[in-house]
Amino acid sequence: MAVISNLKVFKDSAWLGWQMEANWTDPFLFLTYSIVKPIAGTLILVLMYMVVTGGETGNAFFSYMYVGNAMYMFVADVLFGVTWVIHDDREHYMTLKQVYIAPMNFYMYIMGRSAIKIAITTFGVLVTLIFGVMALNVNINLAAVDWPLLAAALVLGLGCICILGLALGGVSFLTAKHSIGINEGMAGVFYVLSGVVFPITILPTWAQPVSKVLPITYWMESVRRALEPEVMQELADTSGFDVTGMGGVSDLTMMLYLLASVAVFFVMSIGIFRVADNIARKKGKIDWTTAY
Amino acid sequence: MQHAVETQSLTRVFRPKKKKEGDIVTALDSVDLQIGRGELFGVLGPNGAGKTTLLKILSTLLLPTSGKAYVAGFDVEKDLMAVRERINMVSGGEISGYGLLTVRENLWMFSQFYGIKSKEANARIDELLRRFGLTEKAKAKVRTLSTGQRQKMNVIRGFVTNPEIVFLDEPTLGLDVNAARAVRDFVVDWIREDRGRTVLLTTHYMMEADELCDRIAIIDDGKILACDTPTNLKRMVKMNSTLTLSIAGLNEIDGFDTIPGLNSYSQTKDVESSTTKLRFVVEDESCVSDIISKVVAEGSKITSLQKTEPTLEDVFIKLVGRGLE
Amino acid sequence: MTESYLMRNLRAVRGRAYPRLIGSTREPSWFVFDVILPLFTIAGYAYVYKFLDARAELIGYVVLGGAMTAFWLNILWSMASQLYWEKEIGNLSLYLMAPISRMSVLAGMAVGGLFETTIQAAMTLAIGAIAFDVVFSLASPALLILVFVVTMIALYGMGMMFASLYLLLGREAYHLSALMMEPVYFASGFYFPVKQLGFWAAAGASVIPITLGLDALRQIIFPGGAEDAFLSLNTEIVLLAGLCVVFMILARYSLRYMEYLGKTTGRLTLRWQ
Repeated sequence: MAVISNLKVFKDSAWLGWQMEANWTDPFLFLTYSIVKPIAGTLILVLMYMVVTGGETGNAFFSYMYVGNAMYMFVADVLFGVTWVIHDDREHYMTLKQVYIAPMNFYMYIMGRSAIKIAITTFGVLVTLIFGVMALNVNINLAAVDWPLLAAALVLGLGCICILGLALGGVSFLTAKHSIGINEGMAGVFYVLSGVVFPITILPTWAQPVSKVLPITYWMESVRRALEPEVMQELADTSGFDVTGMGGVSDLTMMLYLLASVAVFFVMSIGIFRVADNIARKKGKIDWTTAY
Repeated sequence: MQHAVETQSLTRVFRPKKKKEGDIVTALDSVDLQIGRGELFGVLGPNGAGKTTLLKILSTLLLPTSGKAYVAGFDVEKDLMAVRERINMVSGGEISGYGLLTVRENLWMFSQFYGIKSKEANARIDELLRRFGLTEKAKAKVRTLSTGQRQKMNVIRGFVTNPEIVFLDEPTLGLDVNAARAVRDFVVDWIREDRGRTVLLTTHYMMEADELCDRIAIIDDGKILACDTPTNLKRMVKMNSTLTLSIAGLNEIDGFDTIPGLNSYSQTKDVESSTTKLRFVVEDESCVSDIISKVVAEGSKITSLQKTEPTLEDVFIKLVGRGLE
Repeated sequence: MTESYLMRNLRAVRGRAYPRLIGSTREPSWFVFDVILPLFTIAGYAYVYKFLDARAELIGYVVLGGAMTAFWLNILWSMASQLYWEKEIGNLSLYLMAPISRMSVLAGMAVGGLFETTIQAAMTLAIGAIAFDVVFSLASPALLILVFVVTMIALYGMGMMFASLYLLLGREAYHLSALMMEPVYFASGFYFPVKQLGFWAAAGASVIPITLGLDALRQIIFPGGAEDAFLSLNTEIVLLAGLCVVFMILARYSLRYMEYLGKTTGRLTLRWQ
């Protein structure tokens, strides 16, 4: 019964999330928005690369960077999407208190609301990858893709990101409107430390152990191994050393690490959320507004 | 002498962007009003009658579809700045303001938009806070205020600029008895202090309109049905008595139309007490027995029976054909 | 315009700036969320250039561009789309009813937000410069201030013009703001010399004042900035000055027109569009 009830909450809140994310304009404009935004973000990196290399994009380094940047959209947008639910409902629609006191699983509500963000982001990632392959010679060979590894990595990685977003959502109970930047900040931390667009071996020596603790680092590596195994092999062959810093870790180890991370973050995030929720109720911050 | 507010065939039609979003709505339909300076004028009508639409046009937030509106002699379409210098508006259930600021800071901020020097603004704020009993709350953050305190603060915001004309759009909505009383008393005192001041009050509380207003316009479906003093409006039903019956249960009774001498009637269900209130405006008191006989014949149990003098609600029922839900 | 009208508008600017300034001090957590955490994103781009073994100036451009994003985001989220949130909480109708220019309200928001934004940008620049050994070469502080001020006036004028959209639109305008983040970072060359886009693309992007502003600032504060410049410094300053005038005029008319449309269609104070 609880499972059915939770699924219903998820379904209804996903519907609500869709209404908010997608019905603000006509379908054509929405489609344009969903394509232009991710590609523009990627092109920043492409231009930066071309400024230095004089336009050469058909090599392993470029593919490494491009795929990482495309997949990073999941990190940034999903973290944002989960945290945004609390902020949106509290500050803009002022419905948080009504939702909060409803007899339903609030975590399911948040996940449902942010589900549409995951769907839209998936579309954006696909568009970006296709654009890269067709226009920029990004090396993704569908015949060489390790589909089971990719599926496992995506499921575990997205689960981890959603759970992290939950923790940040809890924190946002206690912070003012401007603190929606917390999710961008956290995403920025991963951007630097998790080998998104450059290998972690580029980082200062003191930062690399930190990178190896972050689950997103393993997620990035496993997605790359699954999606572009030829590129990863070429990088290893041409550089002659463990250029990514993760060469010594097997696929299985990475999946296990991700799984363990999901479990640990699950406990931590629920804990953070509950503490933040409790403090927010004590201080009367569930329904406060902080616009200025 | 120039009117404080004047409208000539004022009409406002709302057309949806897409057909599926709904029908065309005529919120105001050829409204003609003249409100004199120094009047406390009421606009009484049910939800959706067009009261707020009228105020939005007069306060320059909305353009009419056709017709004209003048505030303090200035055209609301052409002389925007001249109108805005002379008005202010307070709405019921307002949530405006910034929660991070204190009460004084919020009020001061809005006073600056009307060019009031800080020293003068603070003096006015102090006086108004005192009159509303909010002096201790001057330094409280707005987000810590109760609903009543917040609405009092909003009322103060509307008057701190010392406007010539104030539009009050259901200002006591959602307030408890004491808070509502404080607002009403203030409005009456304010207008008495200076006969150059005018108040246009919209409400769906009959008692509020009856108690406060020099004249009342009754509006429904965008049309002004009657406009006169409360006394004269009640005289419209002077020849008629009102019979109020409460019957047990929530079933409506049909067929009263055939009873001679009955002018009009309404039925309202009270779910909480599980009774139905029937209100009859009778021209000929001999029909009272017919009414009671019919109620009894339908098998209904009469729990209370009262004969009353005409009220504004009776006027409304007579004009509109239904009660004010 | 009478003196009293001018004074009233100046008071309005002061009045609307006040909540922004006070908000910064009463909710100081913005320092962490808006200064410290965004440094990571800038670091990411800087390390990309390091990974590619790029010349030092490019890393400097990333730090400068990252600092200037604070102003662009302030335009998008704390000025333009702010009118949308003001509408939702009921303040917009109070502002529109007041006998002041709409530009005064927006100017107040801009002035109030500048305090936080300037600290944000300065801290980003300082920390980024230290972390990545960025070398500045400032020959003319006066020229730097001139370029910065002219860029800001033009930029905030553009912001006022965008804000007018929010008088009429609802969530479309909000998403439009979201759409103008990455595409503008790309088109305006926040993290690379804009001339890399090609002449015509860069020229088109120059409609956005921050494009020329960034390019001019780079020429002033980086040793090799002139080599990566799209146009000469003097040309860019003149064009920026022109944009100031153009956007202020456009903002005035756009605000009037959008308000008129909003009042005609009844959407001016319509919530949850």
